[in-house]
Amino acid sequence: MPLKESEAIVLRTYPLREADLLVTLFTRTEGKVRGVARSAKKSKKRFGGALEPLTYVRAYWDDRERQELARLDSCEVLESPLARQVTYPRAVALGHLAEVLDELLPDREANDAVFRLTLTVLEQLAGDRIWMPLTYFQLWMTRLVGFLPELSGCVACGAELNGSRAFYHALVDGLMCAEDKRLASSEMSRESRAVAGEMFRAPIENFAAVEWPKARAADLRKFLVQTLERHLEKKLVTAGMLERISC
Amino acid sequence: MPNFAEPMTRLIDELKKLPGVGSKSAQRLAFHILRSSEDDAEALAAAVRDVKAKLRLCSVCNNITDVDPCVYCSNPTRNHRLVCVVEEPTNIGAIEKTRHFNGAYHVLHGSISPLHGVGPEQLRLSNLFRRIDAGEVDEVILATNPTVEGEATAMYISQQIRRPAVKVTRIATGIPVGSDIEYADEVTMLKAMEGRREL
Ligand SMILES: [Zn+2]
Ligand SMILES: [Zn+2]
Repeated sequence: MPLKESEAIVLRTYPLREADLLVTLFTRTEGKVRGVARSAKKSKKRFGGALEPLTYVRAYWDDRERQELARLDSCEVLESPLARQVTYPRAVALGHLAEVLDELLPDREANDAVFRLTLTVLEQLAGDRIWMPLTYFQLWMTRLVGFLPELSGCVACGAELNGSRAFYHALVDGLMCAEDKRLASSEMSRESRAVAGEMFRAPIENFAAVEWPKARAADLRKFLVQTLERHLEKKLVTAGMLERISC
Repeated sequence: MPNFAEPMTRLIDELKKLPGVGSKSAQRLAFHILRSSEDDAEALAAAVRDVKAKLRLCSVCNNITDVDPCVYCSNPTRNHRLVCVVEEPTNIGAIEKTRHFNGAYHVLHGSISPLHGVGPEQLRLSNLFRRIDAGEVDEVILATNPTVEGEATAMYISQQIRRPAVKVTRIATGIPVGSDIEYADEVTMLKAMEGRREL
């Protein structure tokens, strides 16, 4: 059987037996594929640095009959996260991308929009400048997998929220007006809702020059993470680590 | 699993907890131990007990040791002002093999790993900074792995050190000796170019 070939993004690797690695790839043609890279732990010759998380590769594999795991034959590096400086914030941001993609993508289901989103976000993730690309990624990712609720109206009464205050809560799927907000809700600022609107209308490159400290649209990111975690029914490990980054 | 006598089942269960040991291997090992001499079995049990009872972390460098400070930290012929930072105690062996490093070590016992929830707080860094702050260190060599996690760890430590009196260096990465540059992937090649030196 001929090898399958696709552009792919490496999501995670786990040690398997003595020398092998279990690799989760997000391939362009088949979506999330899990496969075994034989001897990848011992001999770095075949795979080199190609299996580092968030490496953009051209992957070659074959599917073995009646087996869930593919056999990963080789990977060519197209773009490595190691080509640019790996600061601590950037490492956590890369980890976040990997975790969110791995958790949200179903096995063997191509999703070209998410693939393109990931590539453009990776391109923008440099040095300590992580908050703009992360906001863009979380927002679009939530929308592309169909988890993003309507942001313009109150989920309880349907009232238009544009121009008025809006609140969110970990257990509520959407925004609420001041009347309907629950106890211990947080407010999502008008500016952050405007940011979401702009990000839906423009490519990520348009925001590259914008000064983007951690505080900018932090409420929007928190709302998005809560939305994802509610659907996944679990906490995202890297979300907590992002919270604790100070810059 | 077949029904074994209780002590046998217990031994198999314990062996199965070891990395890379499945049910089959655990049974094989357990039968090997059962058939071995009284002395051999006793020596194995004693070795397992001692490794926990007698080994601890060096208070200076976190290396695993039976004496504190460890052999590297207590060796007066080594240069203690030059400290090589590694991820794991086993990395020391790789550096010692070169027989060209005469400095001291610092073992982190891991690296920053966001996907596993491991941040800088979890690294064993306090005693390294105690040495640096006491003015005992001239140079710190960051010898963490050339992976995303190892790089992030090295970057973090270098940013935390940032003191004029302490030089911070990173080990070179690049083309393996004896290989062909034609087969180097582009990141490796990039790193090799960045790390070039004057001849
Ligand atoms: Zn309402
Ligand atoms: Zn020591």
